[in-house]
Amino acid sequence: MHILNYIRGGITLIEVKNVTKKYGNFTAVDNISFDVKDGEIVGLLGPNGAGKSTTMNMITGFIEMTDGEIIVNGYNISKKPSKAKKQIGYMPEGVPSYQELTAKEFIKYMSELKLVDRKIRKEQVQEVIKQIGLEEVQNKLIKNLSRGYKQRVSMAGALVGNPDVLILDEPTVGLDPKQILEIRTLIKELGKKHTVILSSHILSEVSQICDRVVIINNGKIVAIDTPENLEEKSKNKNILYVTVEDKAEKMSSLKDKVKDIQELELVKDNEDGTKQYKVVSEENIDLRKKMFEVLPKEDITIFELKKAEVSLEDAFMKLIGDKNERNEEKEVEQQGNSKDEEENKETKLVENSIEQDQNLRKENIDKNTENQTKSEKQEKGGEE
Amino acid sequence: MWAIIKKEVKTYFLSPIGYVFIGIFLIAFSISFYLELMYTGGRVQFNYIFTYLPTILSFAILIPLLTMRTFSEERKSGTEQLLLTSPISITKIVIAKFISAVIITLIAIACTSMFLIIIRCFGTLDITAALVTIFGFILLSMAYISIGILASSITENQIIAALITIITFVATWVLPEFLQTGASFSLINMFSKFTTGQINIAYTVTYLAFTVLCLILTITVMQRRKSAK
Repeated sequence: MHILNYIRGGITLIEVKNVTKKYGNFTAVDNISFDVKDGEIVGLLGPNGAGKSTTMNMITGFIEMTDGEIIVNGYNISKKPSKAKKQIGYMPEGVPSYQELTAKEFIKYMSELKLVDRKIRKEQVQEVIKQIGLEEVQNKLIKNLSRGYKQRVSMAGALVGNPDVLILDEPTVGLDPKQILEIRTLIKELGKKHTVILSSHILSEVSQICDRVVIINNGKIVAIDTPENLEEKSKNKNILYVTVEDKAEKMSSLKDKVKDIQELELVKDNEDGTKQYKVVSEENIDLRKKMFEVLPKEDITIFELKKAEVSLEDAFMKLIGDKNERNEEKEVEQQGNSKDEEENKETKLVENSIEQDQNLRKENIDKNTENQTKSEKQEKGGEE
Repeated sequence: MWAIIKKEVKTYFLSPIGYVFIGIFLIAFSISFYLELMYTGGRVQFNYIFTYLPTILSFAILIPLLTMRTFSEERKSGTEQLLLTSPISITKIVIAKFISAVIITLIAIACTSMFLIIIRCFGTLDITAALVTIFGFILLSMAYISIGILASSITENQIIAALITIITFVATWVLPEFLQTGASFSLINMFSKFTTGQINIAYTVTYLAFTVLCLILTITVMQRRKSAK
């Protein structure tokens, strides 16, 4: 896919230049810029409420930006909306569709809305139905379809008219693991012919599908890079998790004995008397061998020792964590400067929402890792 | 644009709204016909059927039923996003929605022509007066539909959209009772002039101007919402 991108010449299809969106005093999207090249699959990643959907809605011309400009395949979305919109197939969040129509009628209606030539309309609708795998349900009313099929119908609606750019807002939300896998395969397939922008708060998804990731938090771009590079960047520490039985309580003095240990932290005190520690060292130093040598000498029994895998999740948490810390610092300064009660309330609210966000993210990550292992298993099963 | 009109008209008949609209309007019209029959002792005049309370009342309640969903429902279900991100301009979308509601009303009005036939067979028919009245009624419907569409573009709650429409209509209906100058704003008052069988150019222009104004306001609301969303 990467090589393909180079061959396809890297023509910039979408340019987002210094775009800001404000709602009164609230800035939903704050001066963001990025571009998407022909044939790329780009993921917008961020926690809920980060500004992903707002960004997508501005690219598709559904909402008007407060400042900045967006150019789609050479057409400015604010100045030449009709031409710019013709380049885009959009699947909004929550997959809205006309419930009282059948899948086929809906796709046909979408093709009419997109001004597809009457002569090729019928043919193209059939083609899309086949491509998305809707043949069996094409004559059923959308309201009677399952969530997975609704998602497909909506995606077919975006795809019809053969637009250069596909914009998919949270394409896998609300699906079961099997459907998620199917939709992901479908998106990868579509990415061969179209330029795709998709948003997600699921990290594993983005790292699996996308060529590039734009991480957004609090309306600002935190990072733009390939998933591999982002993982690489967060890999500046080597982390071990070691579970030990340490009756003599010698673990705390370990840092003095092994100089390469930068950080030693108790993670969990298990009921069976064992304790789990997190051991951090420089990236190029692997402490595993040393641990096995030193600990028995100290009368510490090793129950388990594992190296922490660095993933996009870590990169994401790190990037977003940094940003939040910075924001909190700013807020603290603000509090110091003005003793306005309302402002205090606001910052508290922001802090709360950040906390909630982080909790949510943790939950999501847990779920994702579960899903990932599941899907990996399924993949393996399929291969066998 | 034709795609939207086609789909809208189709949706009116996929849901009960289209049938309810035409059905209830015809029932009310028949009641009015009966009242005219009783009142005139058999010498029914088609144009006066339109002025009876059942006709006007059913019209006042039914038109909001037709228009309340135009934009409210699209917004609530999120399909507005599909519509507004398509290459079709907001102006065309608004006009298409307007035309499809007018088409349903025209169907209902066309159905009343069976009374024309009945009167033609069993009584004396003043065809000019009848046609002028129908013309006036179409103008009145257009003005009222445009109010409904404007109301629907303001709120995502269909009930509120319908209420705003009815209240506006009733207000223009009863306003002359309280205010002398209000008479020139009364949609119904203007219509009653058509039932005499004379086309009033001033009122025709007023109706059309009113309709266009409401539609322009709707387009403005939709465009404003784009930057306020």
